[in-house]
Amino acid sequence: MPLSAESYFVIVEGLGGDPSYQERFSGYAEELEEVCKKTAGEESLVYVLSGETAKRGAIEDLFKQLAGKIQKEDVISLFLIGHGTWDGHTFKFNIPGPDITASQLQKLLDALPADRQLVAVTTSSSGASIEQLKSDRRIVVAATRSGRERNAPIFPEYWVEALSDEAADADKNEAITALEAFNYAEQKVKGFFEKEKRMATEHARLEGGFAASFTLARLEAAVEAAEDPIVRALMAEREEIEHRVNDLKLRKDSMPDEQYFEELEKLLLELARKQEEIDNATEEPSEPRP
Amino acid sequence: MTRSSDSGQRRVWPKRMTSKPQNRGIRAFGGRFLSALTRRSRILLAVAALAAGTATAQQGPGRGTRSPDLRPCDEHWDHGRRVKARSCYLELIDSDASPTTKAEAFWGLRNFKQANEMFREALQAQAEDPDVRVRWGYLFLETHNAGEAAKLFDEALKLDEDHAAAKLGKAGVFSRRFEGKARELMTEVLDANPELYEAYVLKASMDIEENDFKKANESLDKALEKAKEQDISPLEAYSLKAAIDFLGGAAESEWVTKTLERNPTYGRVYADPAHFYVITRRYREAADLYRKAVETDMELWSAHADLAVNLMREGKDDEAARHLELAYRGDPFSAKTVNTLRLLDSFKNFKTYSNFDQLLPDDPDQLAAPIDRPQVIVRLHEKESEILRPYVVELAERSLETFAAKYQFKPERPVIVELYPDHDDFAVRTMGMPGVGLLGVTFGYLIAMDSPSGRAPGSFHWGTTLWHEMAHVVTLESTNHLVPRWYSEGISVYEEWAADDSWGDRISPDVIKAIEEKKFLPVADLDKGFIRPSYPKQIQISYFQSGLVCKFIAEKWGFGKLVELLRGFGQGKSTADNVEAVLGMPSEEFDTQFTEYVQAEAGELVEHHAEWRKLMKQALEAARAKKWEDVIEPAKKARDAYPQYVEAGNAYAVLAEAYLKLDDKEAAVEQLLEYESVGGRNPSRLKKLATLLHEMDRTDEAIEVLEGLLYIAPGDEELHAPLGQWLLAAGRIEEAAREFKSLLAVGPVDAASAHFNLARAYHKMEDRQRTRRHLLMALETAPGYRPAQKLLLEINQ
Repeated sequence: MPLSAESYFVIVEGLGGDPSYQERFSGYAEELEEVCKKTAGEESLVYVLSGETAKRGAIEDLFKQLAGKIQKEDVISLFLIGHGTWDGHTFKFNIPGPDITASQLQKLLDALPADRQLVAVTTSSSGASIEQLKSDRRIVVAATRSGRERNAPIFPEYWVEALSDEAADADKNEAITALEAFNYAEQKVKGFFEKEKRMATEHARLEGGFAASFTLARLEAAVEAAEDPIVRALMAEREEIEHRVNDLKLRKDSMPDEQYFEELEKLLLELARKQEEIDNATEEPSEPRP
Repeated sequence: MTRSSDSGQRRVWPKRMTSKPQNRGIRAFGGRFLSALTRRSRILLAVAALAAGTATAQQGPGRGTRSPDLRPCDEHWDHGRRVKARSCYLELIDSDASPTTKAEAFWGLRNFKQANEMFREALQAQAEDPDVRVRWGYLFLETHNAGEAAKLFDEALKLDEDHAAAKLGKAGVFSRRFEGKARELMTEVLDANPELYEAYVLKASMDIEENDFKKANESLDKALEKAKEQDISPLEAYSLKAAIDFLGGAAESEWVTKTLERNPTYGRVYADPAHFYVITRRYREAADLYRKAVETDMELWSAHADLAVNLMREGKDDEAARHLELAYRGDPFSAKTVNTLRLLDSFKNFKTYSNFDQLLPDDPDQLAAPIDRPQVIVRLHEKESEILRPYVVELAERSLETFAAKYQFKPERPVIVELYPDHDDFAVRTMGMPGVGLLGVTFGYLIAMDSPSGRAPGSFHWGTTLWHEMAHVVTLESTNHLVPRWYSEGISVYEEWAADDSWGDRISPDVIKAIEEKKFLPVADLDKGFIRPSYPKQIQISYFQSGLVCKFIAEKWGFGKLVELLRGFGQGKSTADNVEAVLGMPSEEFDTQFTEYVQAEAGELVEHHAEWRKLMKQALEAARAKKWEDVIEPAKKARDAYPQYVEAGNAYAVLAEAYLKLDDKEAAVEQLLEYESVGGRNPSRLKKLATLLHEMDRTDEAIEVLEGLLYIAPGDEELHAPLGQWLLAAGRIEEAAREFKSLLAVGPVDAASAHFNLARAYHKMEDRQRTRRHLLMALETAPGYRPAQKLLLEINQ
């Protein structure tokens, strides 16, 4: 992602149907809003639609507005929280007034210039929306495998949790990607059904080729772009070592264990030392220099 | 060191069998098979079917009407002249006898499939005849299909509501299921039909199960009288007479001699007494008799299966497999045989550990030498062995050491502890045991129990269950299995309560109701509550009563009296005699004092029970309406009226929630601490408590709460991660390492952190090799993980 790109977030809270669901959905929306604001770094980039503002007309208005604002290099994430239905042909997200269909959502998203988009449909039957929503420019996350999984899913609980839980940050880079969040939520859902000794009634899906590099949440504020050419050079060297680590990992199965770990250790030490150099070079002086 | 247990099972067995599909299968066999057979092929079929076993003897009217044409064949069979009997049955099959008679002849040949077909044919011709249904029902009963048998008996009773054989058949079904209705129905039959030999036999059998040998002997004398009068085979009555002799301690029985004189192949004279040994948990004696049974009649397939099951209870799996294979070849319809073979086969998926971590020999007898300290062997399924191993081995060893010291018991063999993640496997292991909803079973030196992963989280405390079962090892083995069921259960329940305030079962609403309705049994009859319960939940209530009896004795006369009573039972004393000898009072007087004790202990609970319900309803309604202020008062009163109640909708949980909503964290924590201390087991609630305690800088208490949770939900990732962190911070390094290892075994979402934390623990233990390994594994997942990078640099300086 270019360092100058903006991260936009849209959260739509659908109809709960009964107070307990509405309370739950509101809770998810609030938590998401907090995480998104932290990640976006600017509150004005986060839009939350709920109640009357979550009507289809209001959603369409917002997307029209965004279409004029968002740049090609920007990223946008759309979170749909609530109930979904599928009649065998059409997926609908339940909102006040007429529901919004997957194809209507697709049109709204297609109209945005951003080349990196994510839509997370965390509702029942959400699997039925994937075919309509998927695109080369877009990651689609659905709480269910298909439209036939109609029970209210527990996936959104863990999906929201993933965006603020350090445990979801598998590579420990202080940022949580779409893939990391999905893996976290998927594993938690699986564990839930196993522990409860219940047949799994939902199977989440992720579509889209760039989920591993799509940052959804930051656990710490994003590092400012390094202006110092020395630091830039060090970071490039670090990236080169990371590539070598990845190459080695790909060869793991073809190597004896001992040799693999010896080579891995050498590279990891090199990487750790490079990181130290970067830290030293970017460290703020603790006391004013004389 | 570990080893994979491989029982050596070598073939793939059919899927686990339940009675229902099998029943339908038999009843639905195709009907044209017989007509297509030539005489020669029929003989081949019959010869093949001879392999299926033996049982039929001359029968009286108590098992339904049979054609007199069968009598000469039965006569041969009854005297062990099997070749002649078979020829005789074959002749009937070739004759123009009725379908019913042919069905009986096929049955006599152990060709159940054809017998089933013929009964079906007979029923088509005689749709309104209850007798055909009754006899068909008995065929199902003999082929391990009590459910289908019961249906046929019911159908017969619809046609003739007074049909004695149908009623007796149903009583037999109930009796096999250890249901209290068995005696009721049998008494009804006997009152209306005092001539029925089979009714006396069934009555005697139930009397023996309830340990009432006097009544059993009276019934058997009557049965023998009727057998003589009606000229029917007395062999079943002889077997039960022999059983009474064996259970009374005799090494030999004249009734065995009489039986074998009449029929030298009547293996049931050993197998029937063996059954009574099994239900009184004397498995070694049972196995000895089953061995004699199969030596006497090598075609007694059910005895081969029962012998195998009891050998497995002794850990002799290889010998068991041999008998199971024989049983399967002879009788592939037996669910017991098939399921046990599958269970044996599944043992290859288990790993075995001991507290010495030594490589173990295959035959447990090799370990029979005296040992200096208790030794346990733990068998865990490979998918969860790494998670459970440290906790199970530690608790098994600690419990055995505790009980060995308290009861001056020296184990002669290692105790084997098996945990089954699949409840169905556990159910097969405990097949044929009286009782419902079992969590664990002890067969002497072998404990089998559910694994915590086999049940919903919070519904099962494996720690208290293992503690309970280990107490059984001591009570069973120190009395040579002579301890009555109630006392063995009583000691186990009492020891759970003694181990930890939060362990064991709390007094339940059902127990309170039983106290109110004066349903506790006299101590001398307490076993009946386990063997043949007469009302729902009586078994659970009998467990609680037995524990309370032991608690009462320990409090009033001292713990030493419990040990003395145990010794008395080991000498074969009855409960009444033992109570009188040890406590110096007749059991009736003991009952009076116990009733007073129960009143003092639980009188208030009984008195306030209705009020508790009202208060809880009020509190829960306020909570639902989110009127948190209104929750407090009724919930507090409800808690005080019934402080032991920690199940769904308990006062502690509602109070804690209300206090949290009212921003009174400390009050919430106090409620949850009380909840935990009286046995609350909901994992989410306990994790919440631990988190709150940690936030309040009460980390030692938080650790204690999570350590308690290890005995409830050891597979919970959210338990091991914080517990490991807090232990590490508290300087309890080895325990922290154990937690991080368990976390890794669970398969955490955040593997990098788990490896890194384990590396930190090893680093503190100055174990450079393991530190390095786990750091590399953490960084392999997350190469940019800075804390791990720093530690890697540090150990490489």
